[in-house]
Amino acid sequence: MPREHLLKIGVSGIRGVVGDFLTPGLACAFAQAFGTYVGAGRVVVGRDTRSSGEMLYHAVACGLLAAGCEVVDVGILPTPTIQIYVGATRARGGIAITASHNPPEYNALKLFNSEGLFFNSYERGELLDLYHQSEFRRATNEEIRRATSDYASASRLHIERVLRHVDAQRIRRRGFRVALDAVNGAGSVMTVGFLRDTMHCDLHAISVDPTKPFPRIAEPRPDTLGDLSELVRSCGAEVGFAQDPDGDRLAVADETGRVLDNDDVLALAVDAALRRLPGDVVVNLTTSSVIDEVAAAHGRRVYRTPVGEANVVEMMQAVKAVIGGEGSNGGIIFPAVHLCRDSYTGMAFLLERMAETGESMSALAARLPRFYRKLGKVAYEHGRLGTLMQALEESFPGVETDRSDGLKLILPGAWIHVRASNTEPLLRMAVEARSEGEVDDLYARVLRLFG
Amino acid sequence: MISPFAANSLRISHVGLRGVVGSGLTASHVLDFAAAFGTFLEPGGAVVIGRDPRASGVMIREGLLAGLLACGQDVIDLGIAPTPVIQHSIRRRHAAGGVSIGASHNSAEWNALKFFGREGTYLSTAQAGELLDIYHLKKFAFVDWTRMGHATLETGAIERYLDDLAAHYDFPALRKFRVLVDCCNGTSSLILRRANQRFGTEFILINEKIEGVSFAHEPSTTRDAVALQLAPLMKPLGADAGFLFDVDSDRVALAAEDGTPVSEEMVLPLLADYLLPRAPAKLIIANISSTALLEDIASRHGGKVLRVPVGRQAAIDALSTYRPEQVALAGEGTGAVMMPQFRFVYDGIASMLAVLSMLHESGRTLSEVLDSYPKYSLLKGQIPLVTQRIPALLMDLRERYSDGRVSVLDGLRVDWPGRWFHVRVSQTEPIVRVICEQRGDPPRELFEALLEEVRSFA
Repeated sequence: MPREHLLKIGVSGIRGVVGDFLTPGLACAFAQAFGTYVGAGRVVVGRDTRSSGEMLYHAVACGLLAAGCEVVDVGILPTPTIQIYVGATRARGGIAITASHNPPEYNALKLFNSEGLFFNSYERGELLDLYHQSEFRRATNEEIRRATSDYASASRLHIERVLRHVDAQRIRRRGFRVALDAVNGAGSVMTVGFLRDTMHCDLHAISVDPTKPFPRIAEPRPDTLGDLSELVRSCGAEVGFAQDPDGDRLAVADETGRVLDNDDVLALAVDAALRRLPGDVVVNLTTSSVIDEVAAAHGRRVYRTPVGEANVVEMMQAVKAVIGGEGSNGGIIFPAVHLCRDSYTGMAFLLERMAETGESMSALAARLPRFYRKLGKVAYEHGRLGTLMQALEESFPGVETDRSDGLKLILPGAWIHVRASNTEPLLRMAVEARSEGEVDDLYARVLRLFG
Repeated sequence: MISPFAANSLRISHVGLRGVVGSGLTASHVLDFAAAFGTFLEPGGAVVIGRDPRASGVMIREGLLAGLLACGQDVIDLGIAPTPVIQHSIRRRHAAGGVSIGASHNSAEWNALKFFGREGTYLSTAQAGELLDIYHLKKFAFVDWTRMGHATLETGAIERYLDDLAAHYDFPALRKFRVLVDCCNGTSSLILRRANQRFGTEFILINEKIEGVSFAHEPSTTRDAVALQLAPLMKPLGADAGFLFDVDSDRVALAAEDGTPVSEEMVLPLLADYLLPRAPAKLIIANISSTALLEDIASRHGGKVLRVPVGRQAAIDALSTYRPEQVALAGEGTGAVMMPQFRFVYDGIASMLAVLSMLHESGRTLSEVLDSYPKYSLLKGQIPLVTQRIPALLMDLRERYSDGRVSVLDGLRVDWPGRWFHVRVSQTEPIVRVICEQRGDPPRELFEALLEEVRSFA
């Protein structure tokens, strides 16, 4: 019987169901801890379109002001845009109020350092300790600073950064017909401007009203994007894009309306990045081997990390990677724009590849090495995890393993990755191989062990 | 200057919460109190909020918004606005209630929240008790994501408030007065600057710049504060009357045209003298610490004074036992006065306009009016408090002065013909207050004896 995780306070911040669980008091205290940690200076606060965002903005602003910080409200913006603005304006830090792809009843605080990056794991631990100790800086009347707003410059800044790395003229000349589903999220306004006004696309958009609730499951996956597929077919678009509520994740549909596997989208972005810049690639353990083949074609290496954007980002910094991401969730990280998941870089890369090659989206995807994947999850009882993992390892004797996040078994031309979810008492299973038959066979073997 | 009590400055009571920001009053107090108020209010109608210019008001506003929106309350934010304007807007917008952020007559490092119900009235003791219970229980009625509240900004509140004042006072007639006003860097300048533009009045404003961190002087409405800057400028500028407001404009003090700083005690008698002949109501509600001149003036006009304990809450509770049309005036000797025309809210601006109307209608100067009253001399003092000895002190005084008429309504008051004293514990500071008044010259001997007595218990 899975327990509901209504509130989670941990090293990645604070996340929960707004109302009785994620309360204004908790958000305020967390922001005050954050303000104490980064020091009395400017802190940027932005949010996605969730109905609780306005309330949480005020709670966060209260906590930051109480800690002596100056608050810069950037309003409703995609998370990558907020991160870029934090870094560019030399703020002490930033807070994005968004639960990303989670359902609308959730909200969360994402915390950034002065460069607009996630804190590293050590800093995150320190901040959490500070929160628990409740010994926050409390500014006096003389020390309390103001709250200002800047709603205009962040999106301009972000788009300028992206344009430095693509040939916008080439994209504009093509006048692509593009479909968009922005889930009524933070990208609703900015993405329309980006595709229509900056990239001169013939844009057909749905769900671009930031005042309305999410019309579909917030996570952009092949099984949640029926409306986008339909739109692509009805308007004859050459490509369709879908974002999550905070505009960091990207999903892509080809001209037939088929939604691409997110690992393939990442692979296309990796290919585009490695054509531009020399350097290595970082992805998480669950990302497809298609990345390794694309990187190998450019003579580049792939580093693997535990699942989680912060882990990927930390490794990318350490190895000075030029591109990275997490396949399964549609995150493309291109540090030359900013070290964060950025759907705008992804859209620009794909449009440019289409313009450059003159090929359709489906043709570009078909050129990728073909892998077959199967993902699933199964509930488990606490205390049985070790037994299950051992049984798995023993049934594949002698294969290479990676235990940095659960257990990954690396077989010739295939792999199996099983890890416990951080948020639910579930085992997440991923199996990949070169043939459909082999995937089905391996997946069935895992299921038999765990079922 | 932060008092030695600043570290323990937080005070949560029936009149709201109050403290030195940072050391006493914190973000988490504000959020919890806002959530308690959001839980307390009946659904339907928004909540009007506004603040005085203290820098900490920005932080408190955010916390207040978060707590109210989380309870599903919509908020109308007036920004920096005088407390009487906030109360007026609650009525005008048919709001469910309102909150004023501001520490009124306290120095800049303090801040406070005052809560109002429908019609902009103060909460009754029963309502305030319920609010406090919710605050202490911390069982807040947070709503889910589909019912979150939203905030809007409103900028026209002062204009609509002036409309209302113009319906009660003859602004064109008041144009002839040259009026000097010490705004003490507070919100009164927002109203009076606009009144000059709109009605052609001549309010000459000093310390009119809105300030968040340091005020030109302590913002208390006392004779001493009037004497600092306002009174010395009266004659040089040829002003007909002078007024000093606290930061949120609910209290007022006076200077006469000859440069005399007037005791804050005189606001209530002046307004009584003006209103009693004009109102059908003959009752004045005042606390037992304010001047006996009030009884003299009331009897001139066939009126009566009801004495109540010190503090706003006692006046509110007494008011609630009468029909509104029975009461001509209610207030305190601190320059905080409520009038029925303004639904019984403390309003320094309306009080000022009533005094000016009186001068206009009588054709006399302020000092002529004041000189026509019997002379009383009031002495006020304070001694640090040792709480556990208070009952013994009061009992001792009561026995010592048993030849007078004794009242134990609030501490101890003893009256003799033409003379009285009052000893009580302050509601806002850890001190014992001693007040002594006498017709004619100051009652120095009695005052010194009382101070000595109180000190012996400290």
